[in-house]
Amino acid sequence: MNSKLAQARAVNRSASGAAVAPPGRARHAGGTLLKYVILGFFALITAYPLILVVSTALKDPLQISVNPFQLFSSFHPQNIVDAWQIGQFGSFFFNTVKITVPVVALVVALSVLAAYALARLNFPGKGLVFLLFTLGLMIPFTSVMIPLFYQLRDMGLLGSIWAVILPAVAGSAGFGIPLGVFLMRGFYLDLPNELAEAARVDGATEFQVFYRVMLPLSAPGVAVLSVLVFFQTWNTFLLPLLYLPGTENRPLATGLYQFAAGRTQDYGLIAAGALIMAVPVLVIFLIAQRQFVKGVTTGALKG
Amino acid sequence: MARTRSRLTATQETAEGTRRGVIGSRLNATGRRKAVTGGTIRGAELRTAALFIAPGFLLYAVFMLFPFIQSIYYSFTDWNGATVNMPFVGLANYIDMFKDPLLWSAGWHTVVWIVVGTSVPVAIGLLLALLLWSNTKFVVFFRTLYFIPFVIPVIVTGIVWGWIYHPLFGILNSMLEFFGLDSLTRGWLGDPNTALVAVIVAAIWGSFGFVTVVLFAGLQGVDRGIVEAAEVDGASWLQRARFVIIPMIAPVLTLVTAITLIGGFAVVDYIIIMTQGGPGTASEVLGSYAYSKAFEQNSVGYGATLSILITVLSLVAAVAFLRFREREQ
Repeated sequence: MNSKLAQARAVNRSASGAAVAPPGRARHAGGTLLKYVILGFFALITAYPLILVVSTALKDPLQISVNPFQLFSSFHPQNIVDAWQIGQFGSFFFNTVKITVPVVALVVALSVLAAYALARLNFPGKGLVFLLFTLGLMIPFTSVMIPLFYQLRDMGLLGSIWAVILPAVAGSAGFGIPLGVFLMRGFYLDLPNELAEAARVDGATEFQVFYRVMLPLSAPGVAVLSVLVFFQTWNTFLLPLLYLPGTENRPLATGLYQFAAGRTQDYGLIAAGALIMAVPVLVIFLIAQRQFVKGVTTGALKG
Repeated sequence: MARTRSRLTATQETAEGTRRGVIGSRLNATGRRKAVTGGTIRGAELRTAALFIAPGFLLYAVFMLFPFIQSIYYSFTDWNGATVNMPFVGLANYIDMFKDPLLWSAGWHTVVWIVVGTSVPVAIGLLLALLLWSNTKFVVFFRTLYFIPFVIPVIVTGIVWGWIYHPLFGILNSMLEFFGLDSLTRGWLGDPNTALVAVIVAAIWGSFGFVTVVLFAGLQGVDRGIVEAAEVDGASWLQRARFVIIPMIAPVLTLVTAITLIGGFAVVDYIIIMTQGGPGTASEVLGSYAYSKAFEQNSVGYGATLSILITVLSLVAAVAFLRFREREQ
C-alpha cells in the first residue's frame, strides 16, 4: 500500500510539474480568501440581530418614529433606566434570579448525590433507576405540560415561584435532574477508584467518601452542570408562561413577552428589556465558555 | 515519531503496572475487611444509595414521570379542564385525531420544520466547522461568535427576528428593495406563504452555532496526518471533506443531526412567540396545536392526545437513531 501511495504521489508530481505550481498556489490563496469570506458572512449574519438589539436599546424615542431599526442613529441610554424602572424589568430581573438560583442549587445537589450512587455504589434496581432517569432526557416538555398545569393548581403552587422551580429541577424544561444525573454519573465513572478505597480503608463512612473525596474531585463537572442549568433556567419561557400567570413573580422571559405584546411600538424599551435579559447570559457565557462548550459537547458526544 | 510513541506507551504501561499493584494490595486489604463484616457493609451501601437517590428521584417522579403518565390518562378522556370528573372516552380522541384536517396540516408543518430546521443548520454547521478546522486564524473569535445565538433567550431571538421581518422598517425588505426586488417585499410573519419558513429561519439562527461547536469538537479527534496525505495525493478540498474527514466524524454528525431533529417534533416556543400559529393556522405545528387545544380551547383531553402523539414520534425517532448508531459502530 505504501508503494502504491508513493507511486500515486510520483504521478501526481509529474502531472502537475513546475509550470502548474504557481496557479496551484494562487488557487490555494483564492481558497483561503473564499474561506474567510464564508466565515465572515456567517459572522455578519450572527452579529446583525445582536447589534440590532443594542442599537435599538440606545435609540432616542424621536428617532424611533422615523426608523426604529437604523443602526446607531442616536445614543439614548435613558431607555435602559426607563425599562428597568417604568417597564418593571428590574423586578422581572430579580424574579428571574429568585427562580434561577434555587434551580441551579437543587439540580446540582440532587443530581450529584443520585449520580454518585448510580456510578459508585452497588444496589439492586440500579439499572432500572438509571433507565427511568434517562427516560427524562427523552420526554419533551409538551408531553407533561398539560397535566402539570392541573397538578400545580391542585397543589396550590400556580403563580408562586415554585411552580417554575420544581418542574425545572425535575427536568421539564430540559436541563434538570435527568441531565445532571447523566452528566455527573459520567464524571464519577471516570474517577479513579483508589482514593475512595483508601478512604474506606481509613474508616470513612460512605457519605464521607462521597463528601470529602469524590465530590471535590468532581468540581469541574459541577461547574459544567451549573453553567448549563443556569442558562436554561434563565431563558426558560414556557414554564413561566403557563404556570406563573400573575404579575407578582413574573420573570424576564414572560415579562418581556407581555411587554412586547402590549407596547408593540415601544421598540426602545423592548430592546432595552431584551438587553437586560440577554446580558447576564452573555457575560456568564463569555466567562465560563470552556465549561459551557464542554457541557454541550460532552452532553452531545456521550448522549 | 513511532519510536517515541512506543516509548511513551511503555512508560505508561509500567506506571500503570505499579499503580495496579497498589490497587491490588488495597483491594486485598478491603477484601479481608469485607470478609469479616461483609453483611453490614453491604447494608450500609444500600442505605446510602437509597438516601442519595431518593430526594432527586422523588422530585423527578412527581414533576416529570407522574404528569407524563397523567398525559396518557388524559388522552383517553374528554375532559375540558373545568369539571370534577373526567369523562372516559376510550380511543375516541385518537380516532378523531386522524380525521382532524388541522392535525394533518400541523403535522405537515412539523415535517417542514424538521426537514428544513435540521438539514440547514447541520449543513451550515458542518461547513463552518470544517473551515474553522483547516488552519484558520481567529478560530476562538469565530467559534465564540457563532455560539452566541444558542445562548440568547428564545424570546429575544423571536422579537429581534420579528423586527428583521418588519414590513416597513425590517432589513430584509430594505435589502430586497436595494437589489430592486421590490415585488418580493412583504410582512414576512403576516403572510401565510412565508410565516412558517420565516420562523424556521429564526430558529436556524439560534441553532447552527450549536451544531458548529459540537462538530468542531468532534473534529479535534481527526488525525491531520491522514488528511494531509490525501491532500498530497491530489484530493481536492471537497474530496478530502467528503471521503476522508466526514467519515471520521460520522458518529458525531449523526448525533448532532438526531438532537436537532428530535427537538423539532416538540417545538412550541418559537411559534408562540413569533406567530401564535398564524396567520390563521399557516404556521401551526403539532406542539403549538396541542398547546392551543389544551390551554386556549379547553380541549384538555384532545390536547393531551396530541402531546402523546408528539412523544411517540420523538421516542420513535430517538430509538431509530440509537439503532442507527449501534449499526454504525
